[in-house]
This record gives sequence, structure tokens and C-alpha cells, in this order.
Amino acid sequence: MFPEILAAVREVQLPLLAVLLLLGAAAKAAPRSEGTGAAALVPQRLRRPVTLATCLVEVVLAVALLTATGLWGEVARVLTALLFAVSVCVLLVVRRRDPEAGCGCFGGLSREPIGSRTLTRASLLAVAAASTVGLAPHGWEVASTPTPIHGVVLGVELFLLAWLSPELREAYTRATGSEPCALREVSSRRTLRRLRRSDVWQVNTSVMFSTEPEDTWRHGCWRFLRFDGMRHGRRVDVVYAVRVDGPRRTGVRAALVDRESGAVVATFGAVTTLDLQGPPRRLPRPRQAARRDAAEGRGGARPGTLAKEPPGEAGRGMPGGPPREAQDVQG
Amino acid sequence: MTDSGQERRRFTAALLGPEAAPEPTPVHHRVARGVVVDSTSYMLCLATPNGEERFLYERVTTLWRGGEVLPTELRPGDDAVVLCSHDGRLVAERVWAQTARATGLIVDREGESLQIDPGHGRPRLTVVVPYRASGRVSVRHPRLEPGYLFDAVGTWKDGEVWAARPVTTQPPHPLDASPRRPPVRDRSATVEGVATWYDPAWGRSAHLDPRAHTPGAAYPALDRAGHEGTCDRRTSCLPLPLLSTGATLGLRNDCTGETAVVPVLGCAAADSWFCDLCPSCGGHAAGRIASLTMTSFVALGGRLEAGCFNATMTVANQEG
Repeated sequence: MFPEILAAVREVQLPLLAVLLLLGAAAKAAPRSEGTGAAALVPQRLRRPVTLATCLVEVVLAVALLTATGLWGEVARVLTALLFAVSVCVLLVVRRRDPEAGCGCFGGLSREPIGSRTLTRASLLAVAAASTVGLAPHGWEVASTPTPIHGVVLGVELFLLAWLSPELREAYTRATGSEPCALREVSSRRTLRRLRRSDVWQVNTSVMFSTEPEDTWRHGCWRFLRFDGMRHGRRVDVVYAVRVDGPRRTGVRAALVDRESGAVVATFGAVTTLDLQGPPRRLPRPRQAARRDAAEGRGGARPGTLAKEPPGEAGRGMPGGPPREAQDVQG
Repeated sequence: MTDSGQERRRFTAALLGPEAAPEPTPVHHRVARGVVVDSTSYMLCLATPNGEERFLYERVTTLWRGGEVLPTELRPGDDAVVLCSHDGRLVAERVWAQTARATGLIVDREGESLQIDPGHGRPRLTVVVPYRASGRVSVRHPRLEPGYLFDAVGTWKDGEVWAARPVTTQPPHPLDASPRRPPVRDRSATVEGVATWYDPAWGRSAHLDPRAHTPGAAYPALDRAGHEGTCDRRTSCLPLPLLSTGATLGLRNDCTGETAVVPVLGCAAADSWFCDLCPSCGGHAAGRIASLTMTSFVALGGRLEAGCFNATMTVANQEG
């Protein structure tokens, strides 16, 4: 059993290393990825060429790990082990020279300062590559004929790599991190699209001369657009404020300002941020309202005590209603 | 102050409430700028937009022209900024003459002279680092090479800036290799940082050019959509809200406690490139908030030769 597991561990390394090398090469080829890792050691003008050369070497090795057998396969495996071993040394030098520099292993994603986890990961990958020397199948063969042992080994190894990788945290932060709206760059085309979909725009289209704004400006979370218009024979400025984020329903406001006097003739759009209770909104279902009252400590409505409750509370019936209804409310 | 700025403030106030766009405060009457007509050992005669004005010197009056100078060393034709004493517009407390500033990217170097690109469509400046100032400048700007940033105060001489003292410590990397700013999660209505100054009139015709007296500030986080012309800004290292020209900033000098509301006049691209500290009193947050015009900077208690002060900026809550 043990030799089988050992063989599976060695075999899994081939496709895994190839995929990691390909991912690293793709990330390095992306713009704004230079200036980290080994590239931090060379002058500015050589950084991009060095990054691209590393990228090319990684692609060649990945393809060789997946397809090459025999002598070429062995050479590729030895070179891969050497690549990771050399990268450990390079990372140590980079860390000594610039403690803030990222490892650049996955291009722009690896901007966190080089730490012990990054060094451990590179060392482990060097060992993993060295362990594949002397294996008969190539990477593609292993990937196309997987066994349950391969799956378990791969899972454990991926978990270990994820724990050692600061890039995953960076990717997660980028994916979920939401910048405050006041700082977010938003194109004017997107603002116009949001404006033209709004009710406020539909209401004012007849007043405006043109659908292209005369002036555009930004104030934190809001972008303003001014249009020329005519209302009841008087020239007006139709000014819209479009919120960069938030619910579309309340995201657009408008004001019609008289050109001569500067007086605000009319305003449109939400003026309150209060969560309104009442006729415009749907009333809560009785069962839901009773539960909410109980949670808020208003005592709930026990049978026979409904009359003590203030009228209209939580959108329920007036006091003195039929007892049957009160029991329904209590549910 | 442009009409367009006033209109934008009016419309912003109509939609978000008057607190969102407060009116700018006028420059304090203690500050005057003009052209030197005559300077004797006891009095300075200055041509200002109000006509000729006279300011008396006291023993404590300091004069700066690339370094501390005597009253008689000011020359007719010099561009001068005067800060009067607290008693009124009669006695000069500080006088700065021919003050110039070069902030931006070094694009070329020939011997002692540098070409500086301020980065917002303004013409390039020629800066001379004379031998007597070179030691002082090179301590804080060790690399006077193309690609690196430069920020120094000096004096105007034949249309060139003669550097006298560096304002900041040069970043150790070229501008292209600046680290990416980490993403900002939270933002509050106040931002602490460094306020600097610039001269919108380029030291010329200070008695005639209205720009020389305009209160306001250039802002490093100007929205790209509402701005005409180039603004080669980058992501600032402070969480600055995006604004357009015409918006107003509430600024407080953390050192002296003086406050003012200043309108945004233009782009301060170079300020977004620096992530530096100001060695004056007050808070110690890195990054630049705004570049005030010369007169606004002096009115807020700044010293032109120091080049910066720590400030707190407030942009009114825009939730309406």
C-alpha cells in the first residue's frame, strides 16, 4: 500500500507543477506585474524583459512536464527542480535587499512582502519537482487516468499550497473588496446609462433640448449632469444628480433651475432615506407583524388584549376588531 | 473663482443641500500680493490690484528671497507676498519675494539645470540647482535623474526657478516604479494629510493677473469626466473623494488651527505622485491633500519657504 501511495504522490506532482507553472506564467504576462521578485534585482529598463523571459521558461517547462518522456522528460524535471531551488535563493536575496518587495511568483497578485510561507512553498515545489525524476509516465498520462489515491493526494497538496499562498488572500480581497463610492472611478457613459433608465429622466425628457449634457461634474458619491431646457416658455437648467452606487430606484435626483432668477422650479427623486412604513409599502403579513412585535418587546397581542395596543401599530387592524382576527394575528 | 464653479456649487446645493457646497471664504485681509515698487529699511511699497500699498517693517519682520535677506535687498519689480501682523494691514510680519516652486517629474537634466514636468498640462519648468544649494538639495533629492520626482522651493530668475531648499524627501524609486496603493475600505468625511502650495500666476504680473490673488486649491483627486485638459494623476495614497473644479474643501491647518473653505481650481497631478510627510507640527499622515494657491496658503498660516503644513480636509457629507 505504501509504495502505491508514494508512487501516486510522485505522479501527481507532474500535472500539478505544470498547472502552477502555467498559472504563474499567465499572471506574469499580465500588465503591471514587473518590479517584483527577480525583476526587482535588475535595472528598470530590464525588468519587463526579465519578467517575460521567466514567463517563457515556465511555459516551456510546463509543456515539457506534461508531454515529454525519456531523456527530455528527465531534463525538464531536473530543470524544474532547479528553477524552484534557484527561486528560493533569489527570493532570499530580494528579501534582504528590499523587505517590502513581493515575490512576483504570480505576477501582480504576489505583492505581499516575501515571508516564510512563500519561501516554504518554493522549497516544497523544488522538492516536489525533484521527486518526479525517474518516473515513467508524463504529466498528461497521469492527468488523463486519475485514481482515487491521486485525488486524495491532490486535495491534501492543494490545501497545503492554499495555506502557503498569500495570492489567494489578495485575489479574495480584490474580488470582494468594495471601494467607497466617493473614491470609485466611474465612466460617464455608465452614469448616463443609469440616468436614462431612471423615472426621473423619463419625466423630464420633454423639457430638455438635447440628450447630451452641457456640463458634467463629480461630488464624491454623486455625479452631476446639466442639460439645457425650456419649461413654460422660460429657459431652465435641468440638473441631474446620479449616485455612483446604491439602489437604482433612489439613485437619481433632478432639479429644474430657472436660468434668469436661479430659483429652483421643481425637484424630482428621493428626498428621504427613511424606511417608510405605510400605504405606499406593502403591509407585513399578520403572522410576521406579530412575530416582530414580540421580538421588539411590545408584548405581542394575546387573545383578548388587543384593545390595549395603540391603533394602527404595525399596520394591524383597529382595536375592537373581531376576536377571530385577533387570534389569527397571534397565529 | 470661475462662474462655472459658482454655478456647479449652486446646482450641487439645490440637489444635495447647502451643506454639500459651502461658499468659499475670501482670502484673509492680512495677506497681500503684488509687485515691489520700492523697499527701504523701514517700509515696503507694493503695487497691488488696489493700487499702491505701503507696509511698515518692524524689527521682527522677516524677509525671504531664497534665504533671509535685508529689506534693502528687495528689488523693484520683485513679486512679493506679504503677511501683515495681527493688528491690521499696516505692518508686515513676513515678506516673501520672487518665491517659486518646482514640483513634478524630472524629464531632462543638463549640468545644473533640470526640466520638470508638473503633470497637468502646465508648461515644463526649467530649474537650476546652483552650487551653493546643491548640497542641501542632494541630501533629500539624491537622484536628480530623469524619471525621479523633484520638489523644491526657490526664486524666479529670468524665467527659471533657482532652487534654494528641498521641500520633501525624494521617493527612492522612479515614478513608474511607484508601489501600487492598497485598496481603501473605509472613508470618513475628514482626511488628514499634507497641504502644499503652487503659484497659478507663475510669478508674473502679480499686481495685474487675477490668478495671482485667487483663493483656492488644486486637487489631486479630480474626476476625469468633468475636467477639460490633461490631468496625469495617479491613485493618491490618501482616501480622497473624487471631485471636480468648483467643489469646495474645508481645510484646517493642524499647526495653527486656522480654517478656510477653498474652491477647487484645477488638477494637482504631482500631488498624487507623492506620498510624503511634512515635518511641521500637527498630525503626521502621509500623502498630499491639496495644493493651495500662494495667497490661500499664507492666509492659512503656511510658510512658503517650508512648502507644506499638516492639514485636515473636510468634504461635506454628500448624502443629502
